[in-house]
Amino acid sequence: MVPAPRTARLTGGRPLLVAGFGSLLLLMLVAGAYALRTLEQVRTSDLQERNNYLSRGRALDRVRTGIYQSAIVMRDYLLATDAQSSALQIQRFATTREQTDRALAECASLIDSSENAALHDFQSELQYYWKLLAFISEIPPEHRAVRGSEYLSTQVRQHRAELIKMVDQLDAISARQMAASDARMSETFARLRGRLALILAFAVGTGLLLAAFTIWRTLGLERELEQRYQEVLTAQHELKELSARLVSAQEEERRAISRELHDEVGQSLSALLMEAGNAVANVPPDAIHVRQHVDSIKKLAEASVNIIRNMTLLLRPSMLDDFGLVPALEWQAREVSKRTGIRVQVAAADSAGELPDALKTCIYRVVQEALHNCARHAQARTVRVVVRQEDSRIVLFVEDDGRGFDARRVRGLGLVGMEERVHHLGGVFQVSSSPGAGTRVEVELPVAS
Amino acid sequence: MTRILLADDHTVMRNGLRLLLERQPDLKVVGEAADGRQAVEMAAAEHPDVVIMDIAMPQLNGVEATRQIVNRNPDTAVAILSMHKDESYVIRSLKAGARAYLLKDSAEADLIAAIGAITEGKSFFSPGVRSLLKEDYMHQLDEVGAEDSYELLTTREREVLQLVAEGKSNKEIASLLNLSLYTVETHRTHILQKLNLHSAPELILYAVRKGIIS
Repeated sequence: MVPAPRTARLTGGRPLLVAGFGSLLLLMLVAGAYALRTLEQVRTSDLQERNNYLSRGRALDRVRTGIYQSAIVMRDYLLATDAQSSALQIQRFATTREQTDRALAECASLIDSSENAALHDFQSELQYYWKLLAFISEIPPEHRAVRGSEYLSTQVRQHRAELIKMVDQLDAISARQMAASDARMSETFARLRGRLALILAFAVGTGLLLAAFTIWRTLGLERELEQRYQEVLTAQHELKELSARLVSAQEEERRAISRELHDEVGQSLSALLMEAGNAVANVPPDAIHVRQHVDSIKKLAEASVNIIRNMTLLLRPSMLDDFGLVPALEWQAREVSKRTGIRVQVAAADSAGELPDALKTCIYRVVQEALHNCARHAQARTVRVVVRQEDSRIVLFVEDDGRGFDARRVRGLGLVGMEERVHHLGGVFQVSSSPGAGTRVEVELPVAS
Repeated sequence: MTRILLADDHTVMRNGLRLLLERQPDLKVVGEAADGRQAVEMAAAEHPDVVIMDIAMPQLNGVEATRQIVNRNPDTAVAILSMHKDESYVIRSLKAGARAYLLKDSAEADLIAAIGAITEGKSFFSPGVRSLLKEDYMHQLDEVGAEDSYELLTTREREVLQLVAEGKSNKEIASLLNLSLYTVETHRTHILQKLNLHSAPELILYAVRKGIIS
């Protein structure tokens, strides 16, 4: 069995291709998911960082405001004329202080732990400032106007200016932290870009390899397909050759058997008849029994001669070889007429008698088959057989007035056989028929001139 | 004494024929040929009165051999003795110049009568051949549905037809019917025209078919 390894060869690369394309797809999916996830992370952390920066800025603003505000509150305290408004200012100072501390705590929570030292310094300075301010409330009322104002404009103002400077530093730290975050982000992007480029390069490389392999495989398959197509064509051709050889071998065999039967068996029987007659001539007239036996021998021999004659004609009519196509066709027509009552007209050109043997035989067999069909299926009353020679071709048609059939659907073995014969001689075979409209078999054969 | 040449490729057949013929005191077999070519050569050498000729023979078939023999010597009467029982063989044999067509299976019964007829210039056909030709003719008439063209002939023309078919020459016919040679020739032409025939063999075939001669 040849086909088995061939099939294996055809499908051999399939698992490799499936695996290759599968992993390529998987790789691209993973790369895509990774890129998406990283981008999402970057976006989220960027947003958060920016929010933090803004919140830090706002908190530091509040701290700055609180520092000024508390100084103003304490100045108002010094200027207060009655106890009630003094108490109110003290209370406002406490509130401001508390708010400012909260704002600083908020800022501390948002600032990177590496900057804790600066923050810590500032916190201590702020606590000291609070103490400075709180000291004002302990100044006796009679000294408030003079010493208080002086204290406020020297000690407090100086310290306040330092504190504000420190807040500005904290702002700078916050901005730096923001810049550092931006730098980290850029770095993440760069890393992502690098990895994606690597994956892409790998994917493209693998893809190219796979494509090359696929092309190689496809070309191989195409070559194989072409080769097999050629094989099929060759096989078909050989089959046709074989069937043609079979047909001609069969024809040759028939001719040989027909001749043998006619020349040997038939002649021997004829001789037997004659010898029987000669034997009787030497028998005395009163030997009636002998004469009777010889008579029945002669009758049997005559019957056998007739059988042989019919057999030889059915196998291959001798006129086809002795006189050519036209007498053979006319004989065939007469036989069909006698046997079936169908009227068969033969119109054949005399030149059709000098055709090569293969052509002669082909036409004769086609007509024989067509007439056979007319008699068996068509219920025809009249059949016309026409053989014409036109330039370098022979045109033959057999048409009947029978019931016809659907030529597009029915294709009996007889028609196929006729077609085979005609095609082998390079001719054209055509059957036209439709129910109720008779049948016409038409053949065109090239004649080598 | 009638001198006879046998042409058949089967020795048994020739032996049987020789036995059959030589029982007759006035017949003598002067030669045996095993194929057509030999038959032509021997006919030229021996000048037999009658040739008994098979059709299916090697080298040269009987029909062609007949044509050559009759061409060379029109006085030689050829009787075809064949297995073939078909019109195409009969008409081709007649066209080649044969005067009798006999079937091998009835040779023993007909051969002597046939030799007698053809040496007198008449035609002869085995009963099997006659009935075959008649049958085919009737069948063809049935098919075509045509009127029998024999009805078109005048009485005198029918007489001439019969004599022609029996193998009489124009001169013989003229003296038999007490007519001029020219009149006989005219009748002959008319007959051929009316019956749509073209040659003497066809006319003989027609006569057989019609049962005018046997």
